[in-house]
Amino acid sequence: MNIRSKAWKLLMVGGLGASLLAGCGGGEEAANNAESVTVSKEGFPIVEQPITLTMMAPDVGIQNWEDMVVLQEMEKMSNIKFEYKNAPKDSFETKKNLVFASEDYPDVFYAAGLTASEQLKYGEQGVLVPLEGMIDEYAPNFKALLDEYPDVRKSITAPDGHIYSLPVVEFSQHWYRNPMWYNGEFLEKLGVDKLPETTEELYDYLKRVKEEDPNGNGEADEIPISSVTTPAANIRDIRTWLLGAFGAYEEEIYVDDSDVVHYTPMDESFKHYLEYMNRLWADGLLDPESFSQTAEQKKAKGQNNQLALFSDWNAYMTKGGEPSTEDPMFLPVRSEYVEKAAIAKNRGITTGAFAITKTNPHPEASLRWVDYLYSYEGALLFNKGPEGTLWEYENEADRTKKYLPVPDGQDREDYRATLTPNYGIPAPTVTTDDIGKGLTTDFDTWVSEETQTKLLDNGARIPFPALFLTVEEQSEINSLNSDLSTYVKQMEAKFITGAEPMSGWDNYVATLKKMGAERVAEINQAAYDRWKAN
Amino acid sequence: MKASKSSATAELPLLKKSSKRAKILANWELYLFMLPALLYFLIFHYFPMYGIQIAFKNFVPSMGVTGSPWVGFDHFERFFNSYYFWDLLWNTFSISFYELAIGFPLPIILALAFNEITSGKFKKTVQTVTYAPHFISVVVMAGMIITFLSPSNGMIVMLIEALGFNAPQFLTDPAWFKTMYVLSGVWQSTGWGTIIYLAALSGVDPQLHEAAIVDGASRFKRVLHINLPTILPTITIMLILNMGNILTVGYEKILLLQNSLNLEASDVISTYVYRAGLVDAQYSFSTAVGLFNSVINVILLVTVNWIARRTSSNSLW
Amino acid sequence: MVKAMQESKGDKMFLIGTYIYLCIALVIVLYPLIYILSASISSPQAVNSGEMWLFPKDITWAGYELVFNNPKIWNGYLNTIIYTVVGTLLNLAVTLPAAYALSRSDFIGRNWFMGFILLTMFFSGGLVPTYLVVKNLGLIDTMGALILPVAASVWNIVVARTFFQSTIPKELQEAAHIDGCTNIKLFWKIVLPLSAPIVAVMALFYGVGHWNSYFSSLIYLNSESKYPLQMVLRQILVLQEMSAEMNGAGVSGEIAQAMNSKAETASLIKYGVIVVSTLPIIAVYPFLQRYFVQGVMIGSVKG
Repeated sequence: MNIRSKAWKLLMVGGLGASLLAGCGGGEEAANNAESVTVSKEGFPIVEQPITLTMMAPDVGIQNWEDMVVLQEMEKMSNIKFEYKNAPKDSFETKKNLVFASEDYPDVFYAAGLTASEQLKYGEQGVLVPLEGMIDEYAPNFKALLDEYPDVRKSITAPDGHIYSLPVVEFSQHWYRNPMWYNGEFLEKLGVDKLPETTEELYDYLKRVKEEDPNGNGEADEIPISSVTTPAANIRDIRTWLLGAFGAYEEEIYVDDSDVVHYTPMDESFKHYLEYMNRLWADGLLDPESFSQTAEQKKAKGQNNQLALFSDWNAYMTKGGEPSTEDPMFLPVRSEYVEKAAIAKNRGITTGAFAITKTNPHPEASLRWVDYLYSYEGALLFNKGPEGTLWEYENEADRTKKYLPVPDGQDREDYRATLTPNYGIPAPTVTTDDIGKGLTTDFDTWVSEETQTKLLDNGARIPFPALFLTVEEQSEINSLNSDLSTYVKQMEAKFITGAEPMSGWDNYVATLKKMGAERVAEINQAAYDRWKAN
Repeated sequence: MKASKSSATAELPLLKKSSKRAKILANWELYLFMLPALLYFLIFHYFPMYGIQIAFKNFVPSMGVTGSPWVGFDHFERFFNSYYFWDLLWNTFSISFYELAIGFPLPIILALAFNEITSGKFKKTVQTVTYAPHFISVVVMAGMIITFLSPSNGMIVMLIEALGFNAPQFLTDPAWFKTMYVLSGVWQSTGWGTIIYLAALSGVDPQLHEAAIVDGASRFKRVLHINLPTILPTITIMLILNMGNILTVGYEKILLLQNSLNLEASDVISTYVYRAGLVDAQYSFSTAVGLFNSVINVILLVTVNWIARRTSSNSLW
Repeated sequence: MVKAMQESKGDKMFLIGTYIYLCIALVIVLYPLIYILSASISSPQAVNSGEMWLFPKDITWAGYELVFNNPKIWNGYLNTIIYTVVGTLLNLAVTLPAAYALSRSDFIGRNWFMGFILLTMFFSGGLVPTYLVVKNLGLIDTMGALILPVAASVWNIVVARTFFQSTIPKELQEAAHIDGCTNIKLFWKIVLPLSAPIVAVMALFYGVGHWNSYFSSLIYLNSESKYPLQMVLRQILVLQEMSAEMNGAGVSGEIAQAMNSKAETASLIKYGVIVVSTLPIIAVYPFLQRYFVQGVMIGSVKG
C-alpha cells in the first residue's frame, strides 16, 4: 500500500498524476492520494490540482449531465470534475438501494432524497460521512444559513448528533399543498363579492352554484367542489383545506399550539370534518366522481366550465386559458368549533438532498463544492443558468434581473432543463425571493399577495416540523401505518358517502386504538419533544 | 406398437440397475441437451437463492444479505397479524379463481373456433386483432377502463343507460370490482392465450377427420371428439401451471383501479406489500410475504399435479 | 341421404355460429383498439371529457411529433431489435433441447430435472442477490445483462415439453434409433422440422418478452446509448407525467407552469407510445400464423 501511494506521489510530481487520476475517477487509488490535495477554505478554485469524483443523481432525461452548461461552469471554477451515475427519476429509488447493497458507492449523492431512516441506517453503518465537523470550516455559506435558522440545524441533525445530509431549503415556497381556487365567473354571476368565511357560508355558496346555473348553459351541470383519486392518495387535494376549518393542521400528524401531537384521524376535528363532508356529499355538492376520477378527467370538467371550487397550482391550469387574476384563491374557512382556521404551511426544508460516502477521497472538497449552492450566486446559477443565456441583470446591486429571449424560440423551461440539473428534482440548494427578483410577472405578484393575505397573514404555520425518528421508531411506525392508513382511507370514504353512518364513529375510534393509533401519536410526541428540547 | 410397449415397461422400477445405466449411457446426448438450461437455472436462480434468508432478517442493504441481523418470524407475524390478513387472502384467492374460471376456457374456445375457419383473410384479421390488446400497457388499460366506466360520460355507462337500464357504480361499488378486473383482463389476454392452443391444434391428424366425415360425424362432434382431445395435454398442463400461480395477482392494475370505496374488494396481497414497501423499501417484509405466497402456490401445484396424474396421463412429473 | 343433408345443415349452422362468435369477439376487441388509435391523435380535452368516443376529434399530431423528435428513439428501436433477435435465439437454443430431453420418457432423471427447474418458478433470491450475480459476472451495463439473466423461462420449457410429448410420436424416435440415428441428429433433423408450430410460439413468447421488457435495462444499464425502446419511451412518459404530482421539493412556479403545458400532451403520448411500440411486433404476427395450420406435421411425417 505504502509503496503504491508513494508511486502515485511520484507521478503527481511528474505532472502525470492529474490526468491519470481524471481517468480512473474516485476508486481506491485516489483515496490513497487524498492527503496531497489541499482544499482552499474560500474562493475558487476549490482545489489547485483537478480532481475527479463520482456523483449519483436522479435524472429527468432531457439532457446528459456532462453537457449541462451549469455543471461545466462549476467544474471550470472549482477544478472538481464529476462523473455522473444517473438513474431515471422514477427508478432512482431502486437503483439507490442496489448501490447500497452492492457497495458500489458513488462519492456523493445529489438530489438523492435520502429518507430519515436511510440517513440513520447508513450513517450508523459508516457509509455516509458525518458532516457537522466539516461544516464550520468548509461550508461557510451553509453555516451562515444554519446560524440564521437554528430550526434547520435541528431538523437535519440525526438523533445520534450527526449531520449526514444537507437539505433543500425553500424559503420562497409557502404552500403545503396546492391551494384551492374559486371560479371567478361563478362568483360574479352569483353576485358574491365577499368570499365565504365560515363553513356555513361556504355551504350556502356551493348550494347556490348547484341550483342557480352560474355557467349559464341552462343545464344543472355545475359541480360545486371536485376532487381526484390517485393510487397514492384520494381527495387529498381538498382535504387539507377543509380539515383546517375544524382545527386540524394536517391529515395525519400535527402538533397543536400547546405542543401536543395529534394523530388526526382519531381527532374530534376529523369527526366534524367527516360530518361536513357527508353533508356536502348528500346534497350533491361534492363531485360524486371524486373517489374514482383521474386528474385529467377533473381537468376536462374544469375546461368545460363546470367547477366552482377546486385545487390546482393555479386556477387557469384547471380552467384552461391564460393566467387570470379573476379566479381568487380559497380563503380558509372556519367552523363553529374553532376560533380560527388551521392553515398548513410548507416546512421549507427537505432533508437528504446531498450526502458524502466513505469512499469519497475528498470529502472537504465535495462539501465546499456543494456549499456554493447555498450562496446566492450558486443558487442562482443552478436555478436559472448562467447570466447571459436566459436572463441578465438589470441592476446587479439590488439583484433585479430580466429575461432574455429563449434561443431558437424554445419553451423557456425546456431550455432551462438543458442548462441545469435542478429541474424537478430535490437538489441541495436554497431558494430565496432574491433569485427570481424582477423575473416575476404581474400574475406571480398577484399570487404571492393572495398567499400573503389569505394564508400567511391568517396564521399559517408548519403542522409538524421535519424531524428524525430513530430506526426502531421508524420501523414501528411503518408497520403500524400499513394497516392504519388503509383503514382510515376506507372509513373516511365510507363516512363521507354515507356507506357508514356517523354513529359508527366510536367503533371506528376503538378500532384505530386497537390498531395502535395512540402509539403512532406517542412515538411522534417523543420525537417532537426531543426536537423541541434540542 | 411393440416398441412402445417395451419403453413403457422400461419405466417400471423392477428393472435392473445395469439396464438403467445402459439407458443413461445410450441417451448421454439428452444430458447435454439439458446442460445449458441447468447451468442457467443454477447461476441465475439457485445461486441468488441465499437471498431468501432476508425474510427472517432485517435487511439493511449496506450490511448485505448475510450481514443483516436475524429477526426470526417477525415479518411473518406482522403479516399474519395484520387487521386485513383474511380479507387480503380472500380477495387474492377469489380474484384468482374468478379469473381462472372465466379466463381459462375462453382462449380454448376461441382457438377451436379459429380452427374451424378456413377463409384466410377473415381468420388472419380476427387473430391479429384479438392478439393486439396483449401489448397495451397497464397504465393505459386502467385509464381506458376508468374512462369507459365513468358515471358522467363513460361509453359503457351511456350504452347501458341508452338501453333503459340503470348503470351500476362500476368504479366505486365493491361488488363490481372483481368483475371489472376479470373481464378487462379477459379482453386483454384471450387472443394472446389462443396462440398456444393453435400450435397444439396443428398436431391434429387430418386422417382422423376424414375418417369421421365418412362416418357421418357432424362438425361439432368432430371438434369435441378429435380436436379437443388432441389439445387436452396442453390444456391440462396450462391448468396446472395456472394453479401454481394462484396467489400471484399483480399489483399494478389493481392499484390503478383501486379507490377507497372499493378497497374492501380490491385489496390483495401484492397491493398490501406494495404499500408497505412504499414507505421505506422493506425488502425483508416483502420477501417474507413472497415466501408465504410461494409455499401456498407450491402446495396447490403439487396437489393439482397429483390429481392430474391420477386422472389423466398428463402431469408435470 | 336425408341424414347427410340434415347433418350438413347442422354443420352450416355450427359454422355460422362460429362466424358470429368470432365477429362478436372482433368487435369487442376492435373498439378499444380504434379508441387508442383515435385517442393518440385527438385533443386531450376531447378524450378526457368523453367527447371523443370512436373517431378522432380535433386532430393533432403533437404526441407523435414529441415521440419521434426525440433523438434517442431510433437508437432505442435499433437496440431493442438487437436485444430481441439475439435474446430470442439464445432462448430457443436453451429451451428447445432441454424441453425435448424432458419430453423423453426414457430420459432417466427427468423428474429430478423437472423439479429442479420448477422450483425456481416459486423461490427466487430477489432483486439484490440477482443483481450481485450479474455484477460479479461483469455484465453490468452490457447487452449480456439483458439477455443472459432471462435465457430461459420455466413456463416456456414446460409448454414446449408438453408439445413434444403430445405430438412427436414415439414410433418416430424408435424408428430413428433403429436406423442408427443419434439423439442429436434425431432432434436436429427430424424433431425440429416437425415442430415448426412450437418453435414459432416460443420465438413469439420470448421475442415479445424481450420487446416489452424494461425492468432489466432499468436495473442493469447505465449508459443511455444502450437503452432499448421501452426505456426511451418511459423516459418521455416520466417527463410528461411529472405534472401529476406537483407537490414537494424541487417544484417552483415555473416548473408547475411547464408541467401544466406538458400535461396536455401527456395523455396524447400515453396512447401514442402504445402505437409506436406495438405496431412493429404486431406486424410480425401474421408471418408466424402460417405455422399454426392444422395437420402440417402429420402430413409431413406420413408424406
